[in-house]
Amino acid sequence: MTTTTQQARSLETVGLRKSFGGVHAVQDATVTFQPGRINAVIGPNGSGKTTFFNCVTGMIKPDSGTVTYRGETITRKAPHRIARAGIGRSFQLCRVFPRMTVLENLLVAVRRTGVVELLAGARNPEEIDRARALLVRVGIDHLEDTEARNLSYGQQKLLELAGVLMADPDTIMLDEPAGGVNPALIGRIATLVQELNAEGKTFIVVEHNMELVMSLSHHVIVFDRGRPIAEGSPDVVQTDPRVLEAYLGV
Amino acid sequence: MRNASDTRLPATTPAGSEEGGTTRSARWSRGRVARVAALVVCAVLVLSFPSMAPNAYILSAGIVVASYACTATAWNFMGGFTGYVSLGHAAFFGLGAYGTGILIRDLGLPSFVAWLLAGVLVLLVTIPLGIAALRVRGASFVIVSISFVLILLLVFQAWGSFTGGSDGLVVPRPFPDLLRPEHHRVFFYLFTALLAVMLLAWWLIDRSRFGTGLKAVREDEDKAQALGVPTRNYKLVAYVVSATFTALAGGMYALWFGDLDPIFQFSIMLGSYMVLMALFGGVRHLYGPLLGAVVVGVGLEYFKLEFGDTQLHLVATALLLGLVVLFMPDGIIPAAKALAKRFGPQDSSIREISAAELQERNLTASGTPSSTPSGTTTGRTVADDEGEDER
Repeated sequence: MTTTTQQARSLETVGLRKSFGGVHAVQDATVTFQPGRINAVIGPNGSGKTTFFNCVTGMIKPDSGTVTYRGETITRKAPHRIARAGIGRSFQLCRVFPRMTVLENLLVAVRRTGVVELLAGARNPEEIDRARALLVRVGIDHLEDTEARNLSYGQQKLLELAGVLMADPDTIMLDEPAGGVNPALIGRIATLVQELNAEGKTFIVVEHNMELVMSLSHHVIVFDRGRPIAEGSPDVVQTDPRVLEAYLGV
Repeated sequence: MRNASDTRLPATTPAGSEEGGTTRSARWSRGRVARVAALVVCAVLVLSFPSMAPNAYILSAGIVVASYACTATAWNFMGGFTGYVSLGHAAFFGLGAYGTGILIRDLGLPSFVAWLLAGVLVLLVTIPLGIAALRVRGASFVIVSISFVLILLLVFQAWGSFTGGSDGLVVPRPFPDLLRPEHHRVFFYLFTALLAVMLLAWWLIDRSRFGTGLKAVREDEDKAQALGVPTRNYKLVAYVVSATFTALAGGMYALWFGDLDPIFQFSIMLGSYMVLMALFGGVRHLYGPLLGAVVVGVGLEYFKLEFGDTQLHLVATALLLGLVVLFMPDGIIPAAKALAKRFGPQDSSIREISAAELQERNLTASGTPSSTPSGTTTGRTVADDEGEDER
């Protein structure tokens, strides 16, 4: 991949702001994510990470500022347009379609345009094959016909990841992928992220598990009180005095 | 009689629904044969109903039930697919009915041309209306939908010079030469044909990619959007289709009944009946609203006949519905299916399947420990984790 295409693929925000009443959840967030790498967004609770996420993916409209993806402005676009531009996301508390089967959960993410395509049968053999391959990859292929609500929390996390992959995004934003899952599964998710990153997917991960963040990510951005205060490689960020202050209050 | 034939439907089609099939491929052919057979039996019974009806009252009650089935099925295009509960669908029923009547009266159009045109007009009106109403979700949407029917009720009552107001609007009969029983018979078939078209359309959407998107909206709208589903447009299309079919049912009712009154056409009760019938049968199922309409519709007519002098017929209706909501919250189709499953060949549950698979995998894994594919390993890990994760 050449430098120019990498440049064109990058996701960046300039001066992003969002307030809820008097609470300035995100203020002046100017962030450039590195394409083709695993970016991590960390910060204490309430530092605006998830709001920032939601502004980028269109779930919340920012008050001001811009978000650009591959040189194109995507600020305030509808979430489905941002998704179609190539940004996939997971949710903080894992969200799947509870009363659809595991396979149907994935079929939702298939892109469809035009009346004929929309009214065609949902069970397209090629798409089902692709969905099954993804289920094998995350390791829940044996649950294909199970309704998602009957899966364990860990299995739902894997299903959500598979759903995001089904839409074939270039950039994948994960909101606390390790939240609420056991260590074995955290390892599994980390391996998946690394494999997918090696295949060229850009990752932006919000995470509290420092061990995971430091071992997984190439580039770390630290949020505190709604704004990014430091960024750099995991080693650099770990020793940054501002970061230590934000986390430890020293 | 039609009631009895319809209740057999879910029992004879255990593999009917998409959601039901754990062993789909094994039972597919048998399920399909049973389903087609049940469909043919029901169709024959329904089509022979007018000739078997002992008197004109039973026949006209059958038409009322058929019109309920149409409206409940039409409602289910929105309520069943997207989960948006509209209590105000009577608005579209009334608009279709009055549209048909007024187009015949003022423009002198042939009855069925007016009927179709009224459907098209409601379709056009619903687009801006849907854009506005679908900005809100959940309880707010329910309230917006109710307010619309109440506004229309007031307008149609007050604007007497155009709508006939509370004096009513007489809609000329489309077949003036027919005697009353013949008239009933023709309209029974017309309603049935309309219902068949709706069922076909619902079935088509249900199995389509569009339908998958709509169901995703029902399950989790934000999530669907994050996966790239243009939820607003999907909901709007479902809303417009639902409203248009409801209007066509209303127009058909106007042509059959011949006399319209705002209090009956734009009534909260009618809108509630649609919801209750659909819920009763099961909103996730093609025949759910139809079945609900037959049971509730027959019940309503019976209660009116028995306790019509007092308000007891409403109490009896409420009691019936309360029982269903308490004991069969997903409707009678899933409940009947579950019952049929209990008496049928025992399927192993999900847990048992995964346990068996687990054992098998453990065996394979211990046999060839080094060459275990990564997917299998995870499958085991995840299944093992299950207990821990459950709080």
